[in-house]
Amino acid sequence: MFGLLLGYAAVRFKVEGNPMAEQIDKILPQTQCGQCNYPGCKPYAEALAKGEADVNLCIPGGNEVMLSIAEITGLEPKALDESVAAEHTPKETAFIDEDVCIGCVLCIKACPVDAIIGATKLMHTVIQSECTGCDKCAPVCPVDCIEMRAPETTLETWQWPEPTSEPKPLASQYLDVNSTTEQRQ
Amino acid sequence: MMTRSPFSRTIIQGIAAVYPMAKRWLHRFHGGIYPKHHKSRSLQHPIKETFIAETLTLPIKTTRGQKIEWLVQVGDTVQKNQCLVQAAKENKKGFFVPLHAPTSGTIKAITEAEFPHPSGLTTQAIIIAPDFKQTTLQNALKVSGKQPDSPQKLKDILLHAGIVGLGGAGFPTYAKIPAQKDRIHTLIINGAECEPFITCDDVLMQTQAEPILQGAEIVAQALGVKQIVCGIESNKPQAIQAMQTAANQIKSVPITVKTVEAVYPMGGEKQLVLELTGIEMPVKTHAIDSGLLVFNVATFAAIFKAVTQGEPLTQRLVTVAGFELQTPYNTYALLGTPFIDLVNAGQPKNPIQYPLIMGGPMMGFQVAHNEVPVIKTTNCILANPPEPSTFTMPCIRCGECMDACPVNLLPQQLYWHSQAHEFDKVEKLNVFDCIECGCCSYVCPSHIPLVQYYRHAKSEIKTLHAEQQAAELAKQRYEFRLARIEREKQEREARLKAKKEAVKKHSPTAEPGKSAPKKPSVAAAAARAAAAKRAAAKANKNTEHSGTDEQKSPPLSARQKAIETAQKQAAAKVGSKVATAKDPRDSAKKSAKKAAVIAAAKRRTQAQKTTDTITTEEKKVTPQPPSNIATAPPLEDAKAKRQKAMEAAKKRAAERKARQSKQEKTE
Repeated sequence: MFGLLLGYAAVRFKVEGNPMAEQIDKILPQTQCGQCNYPGCKPYAEALAKGEADVNLCIPGGNEVMLSIAEITGLEPKALDESVAAEHTPKETAFIDEDVCIGCVLCIKACPVDAIIGATKLMHTVIQSECTGCDKCAPVCPVDCIEMRAPETTLETWQWPEPTSEPKPLASQYLDVNSTTEQRQ
Repeated sequence: MMTRSPFSRTIIQGIAAVYPMAKRWLHRFHGGIYPKHHKSRSLQHPIKETFIAETLTLPIKTTRGQKIEWLVQVGDTVQKNQCLVQAAKENKKGFFVPLHAPTSGTIKAITEAEFPHPSGLTTQAIIIAPDFKQTTLQNALKVSGKQPDSPQKLKDILLHAGIVGLGGAGFPTYAKIPAQKDRIHTLIINGAECEPFITCDDVLMQTQAEPILQGAEIVAQALGVKQIVCGIESNKPQAIQAMQTAANQIKSVPITVKTVEAVYPMGGEKQLVLELTGIEMPVKTHAIDSGLLVFNVATFAAIFKAVTQGEPLTQRLVTVAGFELQTPYNTYALLGTPFIDLVNAGQPKNPIQYPLIMGGPMMGFQVAHNEVPVIKTTNCILANPPEPSTFTMPCIRCGECMDACPVNLLPQQLYWHSQAHEFDKVEKLNVFDCIECGCCSYVCPSHIPLVQYYRHAKSEIKTLHAEQQAAELAKQRYEFRLARIEREKQEREARLKAKKEAVKKHSPTAEPGKSAPKKPSVAAAAARAAAAKRAAAKANKNTEHSGTDEQKSPPLSARQKAIETAQKQAAAKVGSKVATAKDPRDSAKKSAKKAAVIAAAKRRTQAQKTTDTITTEEKKVTPQPPSNIATAPPLEDAKAKRQKAMEAAKKRAAERKARQSKQEKTE
């Protein structure tokens, strides 16, 4: 009786796809950078769900993502590769030096999120809001006109700094104020 | 908790002598603090005459993607009240109010200049060199002077006047006003001004009570408001008196001037609304959702000037105060006046060697450089020397901050989680309801900069959300790209196959040199593919009709069928010609034979049916006269021709190479 019920339930409420892979895919940064040696974030998530991949391969995600992956998969957390972890930098986006660009479309082909626009023998440019900073376009450029830049801070994106536990004496800031004041005058 | 009777007030004040926090029973909202007012000194002096600085800097703050239209160029001479910059017509993003010249002069430059902001970042700015003549553009807004009878008319005037909330938030006033009439039942005039040191609203109410209330009347009549309530803190008796007198003269709308307790942060919108009306505004709603509209007194005065005289917002009353000033004062400061000039006019005891504060001591911030200009939201400039830095001690969980919080949050919990970077928990504890009033930091015995933690947490959470959105977008785009690549691949494969078949079809029959062009155009290939398909549809029918069973894999897609039939067709042609010739291509021969049989069968059946009409399809299928007597010469002929063509091609290639090398040499 129960067997039937359970059997029916298994058919009726069958989960499409791999729920774990989707869960992992959600926490991955979606840069599609391929630094995990998988072609994108989803393939890596699928490999993780199958238990074929290590938890510490996502470099842009850093430690936080590694920990949440370990939590979801139930695997042991593993420290990120030291040499790579040290390089972990805040988010950057690609910039094309438009004077140097020759319009070879190689970067357009390399971009995993179609964030570069342009055409053959015409200047290319990066849509900043779409760029994930995966750094895939920079190495393929034959004239080295792509560089990764940190986004500019504006009044909108500026963040309040985190208070330090020991407030630094304010006087040091003021000296700075005066010097620039004089310079300006 | 309703307003207390005078008797209970006396009792509570008696208790407060022993238990100071009993004062909190006198107002409706939770918590609140009682810092020293420090207001009397700047009130002693009359309003100082407006002073014109050497240069006026007008920074323009735009949000991302906002488009603005410059109405002036460098070198232009401008009059006072002339519009300098406005939102572009195609601008659809955010709210941008125009900016007007505060005085007459010339546009010296349009460059990057520092914005009065804790970050010290720069924005685009117009720099005016005043000519000190004050030539004024009268009625710059071209108003009729009549009271607007619909909300939209009022909104238009306020937009063109560049009026923003002058209390401190600086939200464009026109955007705050609803477009429909009768959505607002109560208009609230915010005259609480609870921050220490600031007296500009107090002074304004004392001197400009009538314009303020007439401004309120204009708004009330345009929006169909039923009543106006004005809340003034009890520590401003002269302002209350002046406002009461002015209120008695206005008959069109009932105006009540209410005295509220002098407690910080009484001037907060939610706090004042609760105090005056008893309405507690729900989380994540605006006053308008509760049928209320709250403006600062200075905003009403600006509205009055704009509507009646057509004067845009180019100056505002600013309090210049601080412990360091000998004569703190209030003045109508022109927008763009550097802070340091205003402070120096207040006779500082020592030269200013520290950052000035914009706003009050509770919610204000230190500016990065003291030359930053006065903007529309500058209500106060404070010259307070920095307090000796106090060391932060560990939280002792005393709960003082919780008692002081005017929005019923749990500052201590927020602090723990912000410190531990558990921003999801901070968000769950409603950190976005925090008004950053600073009550918690003020009461903290351990001197923890609580508000700074919340500000940091807020910006972190905002960034996180933005990143999540970006990741979602990236995912979508990535998946779309994969799908697109897959689709393109399939299309290309199909095209390639069709082309191959087409080449096969042509090469043996026609002259090889010409029939196999080196770069057949895609269009031609597509056309051939389409022709093949069409023919395939017919041929398929025929195969079924004739009952032959060459189709070894029955479930074939239309495309595959098309390809197969195209092969057959091609083979049929070849076969018809070279059936007896010894062809090394066995498979082709076999299929050719089969196709020939089919073709023959088809022709027979068709001939039986209709002898008169010859369909185009038939022509296609049987381009050559049917003959089983094949001859060898054509094939040899073709071979020879191919060889010839090859040789010619080789010659041409050699020639081209030689030419290129020559060119290189000459270059």
